[in-house]
Amino acid sequence: MANTSAAQASLEETGRSYAPHEAVIEASRCLMCDEPPCNTGCPAGVDVRRFVRKIRFGNHRGATRLIREANIMVGICGRVCPQEMLCMEHCTRTNLDTPIDIAGLQRFAGDVELASLAPLPDSVKDRPERVAVIGAGPAGLGAAVELRKRGVGVSIFEKSDVIGGVLTRGIPPFRLDQTFAAEELDYVQRLGAEVQLKQIAPEPAELLGKGFSAVFIGIGLGRPYTIGLEGEDLPQVYVASDLLIAIARGERPDLGSRVVVIGGGNVAMDAAMAALRLGAERVDLCCLESYEEMPAFRSEIEEVQSEGIVFHTRTRPVRIVAEGNKVVGYEGVGISWKEPGLLTPSNAVDVPGTEFGLAADSIIEAIGTGVLDRFEGVETDERGIVRTEPETMATTFSGVFAGGDVVSGGATAVRAYAEGKRAAEGIIAFLDSRDTEGGGR
Amino acid sequence: MKKVDLSVEFCGLRFPNPFVLAAAPPTDDAEMIARGFDAGWGGAVVKTLGLEHVEVNLVSPMMAGLSYEDKGLIGLENIDLISDRDINEVLAEVSELKKSYPEQVLIVSMMAGSEKEWKEITRRVQAAGADMIECSFSCPHGMPEKGMGSAVGQDAALTYERAKWVVEAAEVPVLIKLTPNVTDMRPIAQKVKDAGAAGVTAINTVKALLGFDLDTFSPIPSVNGKSTEGGFSGPAIKPIALRFVADVARDVGIPVAGVGGVVTWKDSVEFLLAGAGIVEVCTAVMRYGFDIVEELNEGLALYLEDKGMSSPMDLIGLGLSNIVSHEALSREYKAIATIDEDLCVGCGQCVIACRDGGHQAIEFRGRQEDGSLSDADDARIPEVDDEKCIGCGFCRTVCPVDACITMKERVESTP
Repeated sequence: MANTSAAQASLEETGRSYAPHEAVIEASRCLMCDEPPCNTGCPAGVDVRRFVRKIRFGNHRGATRLIREANIMVGICGRVCPQEMLCMEHCTRTNLDTPIDIAGLQRFAGDVELASLAPLPDSVKDRPERVAVIGAGPAGLGAAVELRKRGVGVSIFEKSDVIGGVLTRGIPPFRLDQTFAAEELDYVQRLGAEVQLKQIAPEPAELLGKGFSAVFIGIGLGRPYTIGLEGEDLPQVYVASDLLIAIARGERPDLGSRVVVIGGGNVAMDAAMAALRLGAERVDLCCLESYEEMPAFRSEIEEVQSEGIVFHTRTRPVRIVAEGNKVVGYEGVGISWKEPGLLTPSNAVDVPGTEFGLAADSIIEAIGTGVLDRFEGVETDERGIVRTEPETMATTFSGVFAGGDVVSGGATAVRAYAEGKRAAEGIIAFLDSRDTEGGGR
Repeated sequence: MKKVDLSVEFCGLRFPNPFVLAAAPPTDDAEMIARGFDAGWGGAVVKTLGLEHVEVNLVSPMMAGLSYEDKGLIGLENIDLISDRDINEVLAEVSELKKSYPEQVLIVSMMAGSEKEWKEITRRVQAAGADMIECSFSCPHGMPEKGMGSAVGQDAALTYERAKWVVEAAEVPVLIKLTPNVTDMRPIAQKVKDAGAAGVTAINTVKALLGFDLDTFSPIPSVNGKSTEGGFSGPAIKPIALRFVADVARDVGIPVAGVGGVVTWKDSVEFLLAGAGIVEVCTAVMRYGFDIVEELNEGLALYLEDKGMSSPMDLIGLGLSNIVSHEALSREYKAIATIDEDLCVGCGQCVIACRDGGHQAIEFRGRQEDGSLSDADDARIPEVDDEKCIGCGFCRTVCPVDACITMKERVESTP
């Protein structure tokens, strides 16, 4: 646990941005490919080659503006995107030695010109229509930004007291500084979108009746799953997303010295790292999946490992051990899969003789999240995942569109943003076709 | 295998190796030169001395570097002057230094005005024990305004006259350091030879304006908001230096001390091939320290060993006969770019370079009619169109992979 003490020191953002000369040096490694493969890797359509070229030749502000045009989350995605699975995975330089640090260069670009200073796009002719966006997470922001750029009025309804969704409420501060994120995302208001915080949106049908021409649903996944063990309601048993929201608000809950995290996804990794930073001396991470099967990004898993967190893979929770009103331990058992490849609790069978017990002062459950709210007339699957037409992100309810985790079931912020953008295109086409059908207004 | 002996004979003197510290800040002080000799330098040219009455009034800052992307200091510009130290003090150090380092060759650089002065300084330097004299006819800033430095080296008649004065007074070999700020150095080097000097040192710095401060509009290095044209040195000037060294060695036939942009042993081999008999180094020493001579000596020795040669002198001028006029180049020989598919990383820099800087002869294999790339595995492999390739060789210069693109002789298929 060599790094534990350092990790414990602070919840502050890790890493640092390139200094300008360092950014130029890194950018100069770019081969400036013809038909650059990196560009195909960005869901938000950032022209990677061009922004790297701008940095290389000293046009730093031009780089920031180019990225922001495609994605307002410049510095944010520079920090939280799993680039090794996106643009950087395709980098040609990998064939020579190591890929260009596109993530680091984008993070640098985010520092060059803060969103609060960035010029707004040339004014577009305002259209008469107004669109309601439900949820101010990456998907809703992607839709709102694109719609505003096309002159469409936008009202964003956000249940919480902050925009950004998972970016400002779910991603812990050591990955992304929330003040920076909020400032960067505020660009959407500078573009003229109206943001209503702590505002539960009316049903789509009502919105459409109230003068909104279309509705975009980008509510994400707001309902954390629980395991169903006895003792889950004890005060020392946390739901990871609630814990991360509390941390984002500045709270520093005392988790005790021994913490068990249940789950193998990115949220579990974040929770485990957060537990260390809140003062835990030992953190155990238990998940159903094997090391290879864990759904978290490889980079995050490796980071968690490097901090000395102990993994118990291919195990299932059996019991929360409590003394009175207090958690004192956790019991689990090794499992194997009945049917290979199906990574669900119901497909797990216990392996006799592999029972184990861990001391625990707190337990954090991070086993996934589902859809919290459903909307009348919007067709979903049994889990509440909204069905959309992939080209336009239109739902089965005419005039209602959706994107982000509520459609994908859980993916990256950049993909959610991209779906919001795509939905905006769909909405524009919808508005245009309606105008034509209506014979002009 | 032949035993390599790095020592060279140049202008009648034996140097332990061909690497000599050029007249510059690293040689302005005996203590520094001693450290250089301890590190392994074969000789040193003491920073240019003037007589007592010559006022040397330095400015600051006097240096600024040119960097390019991650290549810091590819060039250095200075508006330094000759040594501002007292000549008597320096010459006393020279005497002491010579006693401590009898093997190394100690050359003293000097500059003067009138015949009387040139002869006086020659005698005094000689009396101090200098093995050799180097006369700066070449500093491009500060001195020309006083009728010295490159004002002399740019004028064949003045060069002859002053070289003659020094040669008349000298009992040790005389080198004349010439300026590259001329269209052709050969007529001037010829005058050096006619005057009876032992050799030429080429080149001094290239007169240059390094750049501007974009906020103050002052050139750099900025001396309180103003600057002046200075002398440019470092790796960026090596090709210019090689050209002058080769010109003089081949067409004038006088020993040349080569200098200008040497950093590695490979650079030094090139100077020897161009006809230099010793190699002087300054900027690289200032940047990396005296120790780099270890790499120069060892690298050169290993290279000679590989080539089955026993002395650096075996290399001198070996490249000269291969430098011919443009008209004399073969028109029968036709080259064509050849790409090694196994080495190619698929970046397409050659495609861009040939499309926008050449003859549209290279294209991705997977390029389709509509301009897009196919999904085939080998779509990013570039192919050369035999008909369109004129063999210019530009693609080879942009390829990031060593030896991936080679220029091969075109084999015409028989009709």
